[in-house]
Amino acid sequence: MAVLALWAGTAAAQAPAAFAERFARNCAACHGAGGISSMALTPSLAGQPSFYAITQLFLFREGRRDSAAMTALAKDMSNDDLRGYADFIGTLPPPRPDAAPGGADPLRMERGATLTKRMHCTGCHGSDLAGGSQVPRLALQREDYLLHALRGFRAATRVGYTQAMTEALAGASPEELEDLAHYLARVPAGRPP
Amino acid sequence: MKADIRKKSWRLAAAALLFAGSAGVMAQQKPEEEPFWAKGRPKTDTAMKMAPVPAFPIPTAADKLPVAKLKLPPGFKAEVWASDILDARGLRQGDKGTVFVSSLFVAGKIYAVTDQGGKRTVKTIAEKLFLPNGIEFHKGSLYVATPKDITRYDDIENKLDNPPKPVMVYDKLPGEVPHGWKFIKLGPDGKLYVPIGAPCNICEPGEGFAKIVKMNLDGSGVENVALGVRNTVGFDFDPKDGSLWYTNNGRDWLSEDLPNDTLNRVSQPGKQHFGFPYCHQGDFADPEFGWGKNCDDYAKPALLTGPHAGTLGMRFYNGKMFPEKYQGAIFIARHGPWNRTQKYAADIIVAWPDGKGGIAKMEPFMTGLVENNAYLGRPVDVLVLKDGSMLVSDDHNGAIYRISYGS
Repeated sequence: MAVLALWAGTAAAQAPAAFAERFARNCAACHGAGGISSMALTPSLAGQPSFYAITQLFLFREGRRDSAAMTALAKDMSNDDLRGYADFIGTLPPPRPDAAPGGADPLRMERGATLTKRMHCTGCHGSDLAGGSQVPRLALQREDYLLHALRGFRAATRVGYTQAMTEALAGASPEELEDLAHYLARVPAGRPP
Repeated sequence: MKADIRKKSWRLAAAALLFAGSAGVMAQQKPEEEPFWAKGRPKTDTAMKMAPVPAFPIPTAADKLPVAKLKLPPGFKAEVWASDILDARGLRQGDKGTVFVSSLFVAGKIYAVTDQGGKRTVKTIAEKLFLPNGIEFHKGSLYVATPKDITRYDDIENKLDNPPKPVMVYDKLPGEVPHGWKFIKLGPDGKLYVPIGAPCNICEPGEGFAKIVKMNLDGSGVENVALGVRNTVGFDFDPKDGSLWYTNNGRDWLSEDLPNDTLNRVSQPGKQHFGFPYCHQGDFADPEFGWGKNCDDYAKPALLTGPHAGTLGMRFYNGKMFPEKYQGAIFIARHGPWNRTQKYAADIIVAWPDGKGGIAKMEPFMTGLVENNAYLGRPVDVLVLKDGSMLVSDDHNGAIYRISYGS
């Protein structure tokens, strides 16, 4: 939160409309209009904190997060581009609870809820799993992307700045990762697990 | 088995002290490990929202830096010395004037800043390093310490455009990430001083941790210098008597206002224990590890520098530019707390040794970076340049400021 103040001034100086248009042109085809993704293995960006968004864009640009497609897009972005896109993403309203996918399995939902406590997910992602600052929103993210990300962290093929997520998931079985993704994709933000 | 018992007793003690009214957390069967910085965090909503904040991944443009906000004593002036240095942290100056800048995990780089008559050029001389926070310059070589090892870049100032392959100096550091990043410095005895922080917020650290050691420049002859040191990311040697003074970061989550960070003097190298994990700030026994311990059995700090202040880099001033009263004083960078509701510090303070191993007085020196309970910048290290002016690094803006006196 503190850090947002560092660049709030510059953010306001950017024309948000320009990045709304650039988002529509360069991002929406995969991440969805309004940042709600309907493409397999592609995350929704709606509701993600701008600090998280700019951190990921930075990691893509530097080739430190493994996605050829995103690195290709980000590699020529300027610092102002990163700020502009991240600020715009930060304004997208999060997915609505009634947009959660169907097919909730009560048993898996219960196991998922228990797992978010056991794995200390809420310790960083918040009691409502909505993220904040540099930490991503998990609630109502796409299930296939969540599972992909969780498996990547578990196998240490996806790293952030540190191995924090790999360490957090060290004790999770493959089935537990599936239950977590099932639950997170359906848990309404604002309702603590 | 023993570890289990210890863990359980900690949980009980912690519950009694901190978690009163939220016994639910104890009902879990097999909790996974929390991240090290979160251990001991109260489960209240306010505390649960606090987490370390990484440096912003984009440096602040030179014309947007908060230099106009900086407040200094009369006659002093602050200016932007260099910008666009992502995650700028440790500062050292080479014999030919190059300023070397270290970074942590956001950048993972070492930079060299050269000055061509007031115009400065920033070059990246090493990258993809593992938390390369510790740097030192000696006889043409730049030493770089990560949590795992110490390497050396020889004749570096003549090779900034084509840096040499680093030579391994010492590869037996534990590599633990919690408090594993370094601050290193050459002592007046020609040895390299290296801290090995506690691998935790609060724990029984074991013999290999929570201390400062020194070694020969080839990595041989490792000796203990100070024990019971939780995490120091700043130290210097008193030009008057060569004694080591270091800053220390106090344990987290005990309370908003306890314990303090400290400034300490090592008067008997290798013989003193500074208290961690048993006693904090010289007079406060740890609620778990302090049972049966007496704070008077440990070396006392010279100065308390504030709860969770993030007290980092420090230097004795013996330059020729600042007024006489600053001769021999210690300038100390405080990063500002991440785990305290009310933000403060993010400043440079100055402390005057009393000549008897203590501190006579302390004053704020550079302030103004806390506004609306948020940071406009966060100082990490200070460096006295050959002309007597002082550089201050700010990792959250990716910038270096220069403080000068007079016209």
